[in-house]
Amino acid sequence: MILADVLDLWSSAWPAGVMMLSLGGGFALVLLFASEKLRVEVDPKVEQIHRALPNLDCGACGFAGCAQYAKAVLADPELLGGCAPGGAATSAVIAGVLSLQVSDSGPARKPIVHCSAHTGDKTLYARYEGIQSCTAANALANVQACKFGCLGFGDCVRACRFGALSKPDGLATVDYDKCTGCTACSKACPRNLIEMVPFKHDRMMTVACRSIETPKVTRSMCKVGCIGCGLCAKQSELFSVAENLARLDYRRYEPSEQTEAAMSKCPTKVIVWRGPGAVEPARSGDERVVESGGAEDG
Amino acid sequence: MDTLQTLTVGFIAIVVVKNLVFTKFLGICPYLGVSGRIDMAFGMGLAVTFVITLSGTMTWLIDHLLLIGTPLEVTRYVCFILVVAGAVQLVEMYLRKFFPSLYESFGIFLPLITTNCAILGLCLFLNLWRVNSLLEAVVLSFGAGIGFTMAICVMAGIRENLKLADVPACLKGAPITLITAGILAMAFMGFSGMIR
Repeated sequence: MILADVLDLWSSAWPAGVMMLSLGGGFALVLLFASEKLRVEVDPKVEQIHRALPNLDCGACGFAGCAQYAKAVLADPELLGGCAPGGAATSAVIAGVLSLQVSDSGPARKPIVHCSAHTGDKTLYARYEGIQSCTAANALANVQACKFGCLGFGDCVRACRFGALSKPDGLATVDYDKCTGCTACSKACPRNLIEMVPFKHDRMMTVACRSIETPKVTRSMCKVGCIGCGLCAKQSELFSVAENLARLDYRRYEPSEQTEAAMSKCPTKVIVWRGPGAVEPARSGDERVVESGGAEDG
Repeated sequence: MDTLQTLTVGFIAIVVVKNLVFTKFLGICPYLGVSGRIDMAFGMGLAVTFVITLSGTMTWLIDHLLLIGTPLEVTRYVCFILVVAGAVQLVEMYLRKFFPSLYESFGIFLPLITTNCAILGLCLFLNLWRVNSLLEAVVLSFGAGIGFTMAICVMAGIRENLKLADVPACLKGAPITLITAGILAMAFMGFSGMIR
């Protein structure tokens, strides 16, 4: 009985199947013919370059995506080295495709945040409740006492496509394991606190402050600001002090006893380690200013 | 002479009176999606016109040579979808070869012509309206494409001017576009009854 039904169904259905097959086959033939006739020759070099790129489409090179950069770099070899996440390895592959020599561009650049003030270290005049973005807050003169420090509204966190930035306790912090070095965060920061630094070592010594106020003013508004005392410059010639702010020459930086001494002598402990090899000291929450708690969320 | 008159009237009817976008509300996705700029809208219209003419003609042929009068009529939808998809593939290859800039600017909307229901709708309407001659089917398909092009270009022109208009904040973007589409459709309903 069931068998008869199935046979009946089969006998009425097979013409439809055959017709669909033949129609589909016919179209497949036409399309095959068309794809041969209308084939677009893509430059194999563009494909090779595209394969070498990290395909993150981060836009650090200034083009919309990796495909556009691949085309552009072939047309204009001067754009070589524009890929920040790919770094030297990618540049070398592209140079190989273009049969060019690539000079050593040095270690990969990674962002360093030049501020070390967490919520508890900052002085706030009032509680900011405007648009929760650094760019908006920065337009307001008195949003926080320090005119140079991290605002903590997370423009850089939003700019990062790789989830490498966070702002625990009101300070932008880079997760160097996730960071690709695409420079998006350093472009997003309205206070230019994030500098792309060549990471020669696993951890880099950093003067985590940008304040050029006089020592008295800096002391009054931030617990961890650089007061430009010059003790570090006395220890190591890699440090220089100008405009009440110590600066470290990152290009020449090598770990040595002198720099270690400079770090330990720093009265405000503003010279810190940054990088994948640096372990941030755990911060206790007891210094927190109650008034400022709400402004950091968002 | 009689044929010519039928064809002319049919053409005007499908472009203005029975416009697929304004009176049947078919093909709304590209109509709203690609009508931001008038040059892209025109390109989209031309691509749709090409696909709709090709697939309308082919589906009419398949319908009349293979399907009508046989039990296979039930497979009409599936066959038509196959034809439309094949035609879109062809257009995509053609554009990529000869108009690469247009191809890039269409992006995802070009393969999406496959799912443009104005095309499948027209193919099914040709059957529903009992179009009996191949010539008429071709003219109606072409007219439907021209109608779509006209609709999307009118919309793009309005939207380009809307960018400069002082639209209330709550209506900015999609709401004002949909309202515009509705008013346009109402305006074109004024033609209904002109040709039966």
